[in-house]
Amino acid sequence: MSRGLVLAVESSCDETGVALVADGRRVLSSVVASQVALHAPTGGIVPEVAARAHLRWIVPTLEEAWAGADVGWGDLDAVAVTSGPGLAGSLLVGINFAKALAYVHDLPLVGVNHLEGHLYAAWLEDPSAPDRPEPPLPALALIVSGGHTFLSVTRGSLRHEHLGGTVDDAAGEAFDKVGRLLGLPYPGGPAISRAAERARRRDLRFPRAWLPGTDDFSFSGLKTAALRAVAEARAAAGMDPGDRESALPDDVVG
Amino acid sequence: MSTAARPVLAIDTATSVACVVLAAADGAMLAADAWTAGHRHGEELLARIDALLARTAIARSALGGVAVGIGPGAFTGLRVGIATAKGLAAGLGVPIAGVGSGVVLAAAAVAAGAVPPDRPVAVILPAGPSERTLDVAGVAIRLPAGLEPDLPPGAVLVAVDLDGRAPADALARGAAARAALAVELARAGAARLRAGGDDLARLVPEYVTPPRGIAAPTGEVAWSRTRG
Ligand SMILES: [Zn+2]
Repeated sequence: MSRGLVLAVESSCDETGVALVADGRRVLSSVVASQVALHAPTGGIVPEVAARAHLRWIVPTLEEAWAGADVGWGDLDAVAVTSGPGLAGSLLVGINFAKALAYVHDLPLVGVNHLEGHLYAAWLEDPSAPDRPEPPLPALALIVSGGHTFLSVTRGSLRHEHLGGTVDDAAGEAFDKVGRLLGLPYPGGPAISRAAERARRRDLRFPRAWLPGTDDFSFSGLKTAALRAVAEARAAAGMDPGDRESALPDDVVG
Repeated sequence: MSTAARPVLAIDTATSVACVVLAAADGAMLAADAWTAGHRHGEELLARIDALLARTAIARSALGGVAVGIGPGAFTGLRVGIATAKGLAAGLGVPIAGVGSGVVLAAAAVAAGAVPPDRPVAVILPAGPSERTLDVAGVAIRLPAGLEPDLPPGAVLVAVDLDGRAPADALARGAAARAALAVELARAGAARLRAGGDDLARLVPEYVTPPRGIAAPTGEVAWSRTRG
């Protein structure tokens, strides 16, 4: 069954992405230009810098997506673009760029919720297992990203039900803040994971991010505990900061 | 017809009044539209361009290039205008050209007779809620709140989008410049396209100074590529 060929543009945060997807599942190409290195000196995303970088990299990303994919403008059935949520200035770049592409080629423009995009990533064909069927419904989804942490259930096409989510920070923000606390580079998540691999002590237990009896999460207790542990360890003198963080990744996904 | 002989589209979204123009390849204005966009340039931009093309019976595929004002001016407007211009140019496979919004406003002020032709023009625009940008012949500086512009000798001040924050005579020159903007935008855009235009990938807004103490943007992006 053909469900068409879609050119998709994403610019909601600090990555510029363009993909060509056929039949709703088959990724012909997917190109991402990540600005992580650009934001490292400030320890977080500066929206103005991000928006400018999207403008700088969106055309090369588009060209990379076309390169090697054995299709052209005339084969497209629609242009899709992340409509939100995200950084307003960054979103504007992708939205207006995609709108103009759709206009030039007389194609429908489909605005896509970024979180629905995350959910439907699970439907993409795995090139190493092309025969694996689509996930059956209903499906439970856990989204853990730099900006979002929530649980939802998908009952049908575009029919989602929010079960719960973080009441404060997203997991990624918690990682960034704890990473900064430890003097680790941005983004915090990978840096903490790397440091945790070298941990010498593994007996420290941190509060879980999951709020018992609910489907919600909270990272404030975990951050406070991390802050306290870091202060105590610094007071006790000269330990490797990697020692104290082995529990954080486990607490988010474990 | 080669792209060099085809009509061109020029866009400026650097100020609260957005402007779109169709011009002949030699820069002569064919048709123009301007509207008060405030901070919402994106909502109407393509519809206005489409109406302009319909009015002149020019097919979008007949365009030979896209010119766009790159500021200085409103961040949001510039992003919308440049992202749209890049999408149009990339989609059509035609050249792009960036023109200085301040330079074009200065030319428009002279063309409108608001500034004598032998005098330097200093265009002053808002940059955020309290700061302003001063553009003299394409060289722009940021003026922090409270700091008065230090004008070159003999320069005439042209103020845009600064009602209540600039002298009345400068604002009147700004209004005159705005009324003549389309003709100058067409001329400047077509001229830059004839000269070869700009790199489609590298064209970014003229922001004057990166915000919040950020040094000149450094660092590459990291690429990831998946092929089906
Ligand atoms: Zn995301």
